[in-house]
Amino acid sequence: MARVRGRLAQLGQGWGGLGLWWLLLAALALYPYTGVTHLTLFLGSQVFVLVTLASNWNLIGGMTGYVDFGHAVFFGIGAYVMGILVTKSPLLVSPEWGFLQALPVSGAAAAIFALLIGLPTLRLKGPYFSIAMLGTFVAMREIVRVLRPLTGGGVGLNLPPVLNRLGDYYLMLVLMGLVVSIMWWIRRSEFGQSLIAIREDEIGAEMRGINTTLHKILAFMIAAFFTGVVGGFWAWQNTFIDPDVVFIETRTVEMVMMSMLGGLGTVWGPPLGAVVIYVLQTVVWGRLFGIHLLALGILMVLLVLFLPEGILGTSGRGGGTSIVRLWGRIRKRSDP
Amino acid sequence: MDQVLQALVNGLLLGGFYAVMVLGFSVIWGVMGIINLAHGEYLMIGAYLGWGLFRYFGMDPFAALLLILPLMFLFGYVLQYVLINRIVERPHLMSLLITFGISIALANLFKILFTSDPRNVSVTYNGSVELLGITFPIVKSIIFGAALLCMLGLHLFLQRSRMGKSIRAAAQNRTAARIVGMDINRTYAVTAGICIAITAAAGAMLSPTQAIFPFMGPPLTLKAYTITALGGLGRIPGALMGGVVLGVTETMVSRFVPGIGTNLGVAISFVILVLILILRPQGLLGGLRPVDPEAE
Amino acid sequence: MKIKINELSAMSYRLGALNMRFIRMLVLVVLVALAGCSAIPTPEVREDVSSETSTEDGAAADVIRIGAAVSETGKYSREGRDTRQGYGTWLEWVNNEYGGIDVAGKRYQVELVMYDDEGDPDTVARLVEQLISEDRVDFLLGPYSSSLTQSASAISEKYDKIMVEGNGASESLFERGFRNLFAVLTPAGNYTQSALKMLAEQGAQSVVIAYEDTAFPTSVAEGAQRWAKAYGLEVLGVETYPRDVADVSGIMAKFKEVEPDIFVGGGHFNDAILFIRAAKELDFNPKAMVITVGPSNPKLVQEVGADAEYVIGPTQWEASMSYEDEYFGTAAEYAARYEAQWSEPPTYQAAESTATALALHLAIEAAGALDTNSVRNALRELDVVTFYGPINFDETGKNASKPMGAIQVQDGEILVVAPGHAAVSELRYPAPDWKDR
Repeated sequence: MARVRGRLAQLGQGWGGLGLWWLLLAALALYPYTGVTHLTLFLGSQVFVLVTLASNWNLIGGMTGYVDFGHAVFFGIGAYVMGILVTKSPLLVSPEWGFLQALPVSGAAAAIFALLIGLPTLRLKGPYFSIAMLGTFVAMREIVRVLRPLTGGGVGLNLPPVLNRLGDYYLMLVLMGLVVSIMWWIRRSEFGQSLIAIREDEIGAEMRGINTTLHKILAFMIAAFFTGVVGGFWAWQNTFIDPDVVFIETRTVEMVMMSMLGGLGTVWGPPLGAVVIYVLQTVVWGRLFGIHLLALGILMVLLVLFLPEGILGTSGRGGGTSIVRLWGRIRKRSDP
Repeated sequence: MDQVLQALVNGLLLGGFYAVMVLGFSVIWGVMGIINLAHGEYLMIGAYLGWGLFRYFGMDPFAALLLILPLMFLFGYVLQYVLINRIVERPHLMSLLITFGISIALANLFKILFTSDPRNVSVTYNGSVELLGITFPIVKSIIFGAALLCMLGLHLFLQRSRMGKSIRAAAQNRTAARIVGMDINRTYAVTAGICIAITAAAGAMLSPTQAIFPFMGPPLTLKAYTITALGGLGRIPGALMGGVVLGVTETMVSRFVPGIGTNLGVAISFVILVLILILRPQGLLGGLRPVDPEAE
Repeated sequence: MKIKINELSAMSYRLGALNMRFIRMLVLVVLVALAGCSAIPTPEVREDVSSETSTEDGAAADVIRIGAAVSETGKYSREGRDTRQGYGTWLEWVNNEYGGIDVAGKRYQVELVMYDDEGDPDTVARLVEQLISEDRVDFLLGPYSSSLTQSASAISEKYDKIMVEGNGASESLFERGFRNLFAVLTPAGNYTQSALKMLAEQGAQSVVIAYEDTAFPTSVAEGAQRWAKAYGLEVLGVETYPRDVADVSGIMAKFKEVEPDIFVGGGHFNDAILFIRAAKELDFNPKAMVITVGPSNPKLVQEVGADAEYVIGPTQWEASMSYEDEYFGTAAEYAARYEAQWSEPPTYQAAESTATALALHLAIEAAGALDTNSVRNALRELDVVTFYGPINFDETGKNASKPMGAIQVQDGEILVVAPGHAAVSELRYPAPDWKDR
């Protein structure tokens, strides 16, 4: 058993894991040819959005160990840059394609904001950073409300309603594939090793000659860039944004939970966590009197108490993934 | 001049409430090194208790404090014993995540129980008294008085009682306190009980002045953090000072900025929070200590 | 905090050297995918094929399916329930009493498919997709709230499905050029019209306006400024406040200085309580307080008691209004029917939801067909008076013909004081100072 688990872990880290991922992407790319409805495509793109968000959060929250309780601020900035560009800018070629032009700008704006806010806040250790980001998030929601000439204030912005579920599906598939592949790459690269070193012992990493500030800022900007792109995409496909639907705490909560459930700092954990939580939400507890967030909150408490490394986390003592160890502990306790 | 004076008085009254609202947050942080992200939810529970007792038993929210304090002490004691004590000595990340989880679970539990409809407590003696040309709102003045009483009570408890002394000892040095044979778990549970009771009492005091709804918590948690950062950790005069600074700032902005003043007043405390964290993470007066036990 | 250039380049070198293989492979995959895209035809997405299924299935032929995503949980759970019950009142009536919708002489039973949107824009989008592409509904009814209607109507527009709604009053909904969205309620800009007109006639000179900074109250406040100008009232101040505000005394203190005759407050139910409380607390005495949403709800009197006296509120509909039609009878008869079915009196959200469904029903009968084009044309030409008031859509889909009513709280009762033909009581103006009550 132990050897099989070891192999599995190696496969995840190695080229095999990436190969499997690309196979899965190829299968997903062919899936619409089997004859699907728009609903299926829409559900697919929603799951891809969640996987992308969770992977991004994991880069800063999981690998670098800076728990970002306000990451949805980048989503919001992306969404608003998209909204402002497609409604107010004359530069775009056409409503159908202008959005593709605006998408990288959404990401870039989020990344620049990450640089500006990250330079001071990433100096803060541990909980100070978390709370600074939470404050940034809430402050940004109020600031967007006050900047009425640009953002439409609390009234929000209407985007041109050009819906293309098939295009959305492929766009998000590509983005998700790209983001997860980049995470895999980062995890293996020296850059990723440095991030992990920062998480484990920042002062030690500094003394070993790692420029911790540079690493943290870069990780933060990458995570913000793709979150901003997803925000821009969301604004486009929802066709309407206002401060309350865009800057919503739930989105950060979901990113944190998906990463935690799957395994903080792992490559494949956040995608797995995203899928599990989406299925739980829409199939299981979504039908039970709207208990989605209550269930997420309780799940978070239980995870901290019993499974802090998530399903695929391996950073603890002993071999194997943490869920296997948890099972072992339960068995040991039940027959003394 | 009269207008400025009036706004100053309103700000002071608000500041008194902020001070009592922040006490529990600041003491839990000072003693256990936990930043309690569920703080606003304890206020929310207190406010709902105040509303329930008023609505169904006709109890005045200030009289109801006598019932809410022991009830929420018990709640805090049990919560600490069952959940938080298990992670106090783990990395700070865990305590942040667990209190974040508790905050989401509580807010949504109350949403399911009471729907998200705002609730109100309308006391009959709402009104104002004019004194020296300045209008004093009656309810807010009572809150100010009750807040001062609560702070005095906590101060005496921490300084004079045996339990208060062991709480202070645990705050100063956990290991040493354990060596001399203190039951740290119990001390922590009592601390949490007292803090959560006072917080819920503050929530109940709040109930006659504003709407009560399940998601009122997070902004209050952030305000608590801002005030702690302004006034320092675990010190009662500091809490009062931080509360008054924030209260006066908010009132002045919403009173004198035309058009969007109230919006800015709401935003201002979050902006202050981010600015303080960036410029002086150790707090305006210093003394915010690191909460990571590994760093001690 | 310093980032040295040479370190940056060193790192980029390390990044590159480490996994040139990865990048090469990524590029290869992308190229193959791109090549594939250009060669392979785009996949076919199954579109709505309701005509096929209904001919296959004999029973389905006599049924009109109508879909709606309405909050059962989430932040709009209460208003969502009123909306559901309003739709339900019509459904019960049309199937059991009326005998089904009459389409060119043939009677169709109605099946109403409703889901819970949880007040969440992602969920509402998913459910509207589901209603259209899997449940194959013929028509859609709107969700509760302007913001959810924004998300839902973009989808119905895309699939060219009619959506009739009665719970999204924000004017920006109708500035998007949608052809398939119709709303039976009076647009938000006209909310304060009849109240301001009446007060101007009573001799009021000046007005101040405070509104919540969201779509619907903003439309209300912009309308109020427009109407104030039209009736010769001087606007002395305009203030905004954010959603879920805790305290409005800053605004009220400012207004107290300028001593206006009329205070207009636009927001949601709870803001009415905050306004009244703060006015009393600060001893701010306008001669009339006009507050949207709150006063027409009996809960306000329960909550603030005698302090609610003299408060004026616009209302979409009251059971005491004098409208009637041949379907539900008078407004009072509708209210009795509703109460018999749901054991509670109807709010105006419930009444406008029933009217929404009724408008769709009447348009289908007028068209004598079920296709989108005929029903859309019939909706555009619809001109009827119902228990809820006149319904006559303008070219953007708004119901511009319906005047807004105004009520005043008098001795604890909510009484209609405007417009003239629907009024049951005289306006009490000016309101006495707080001290003299």
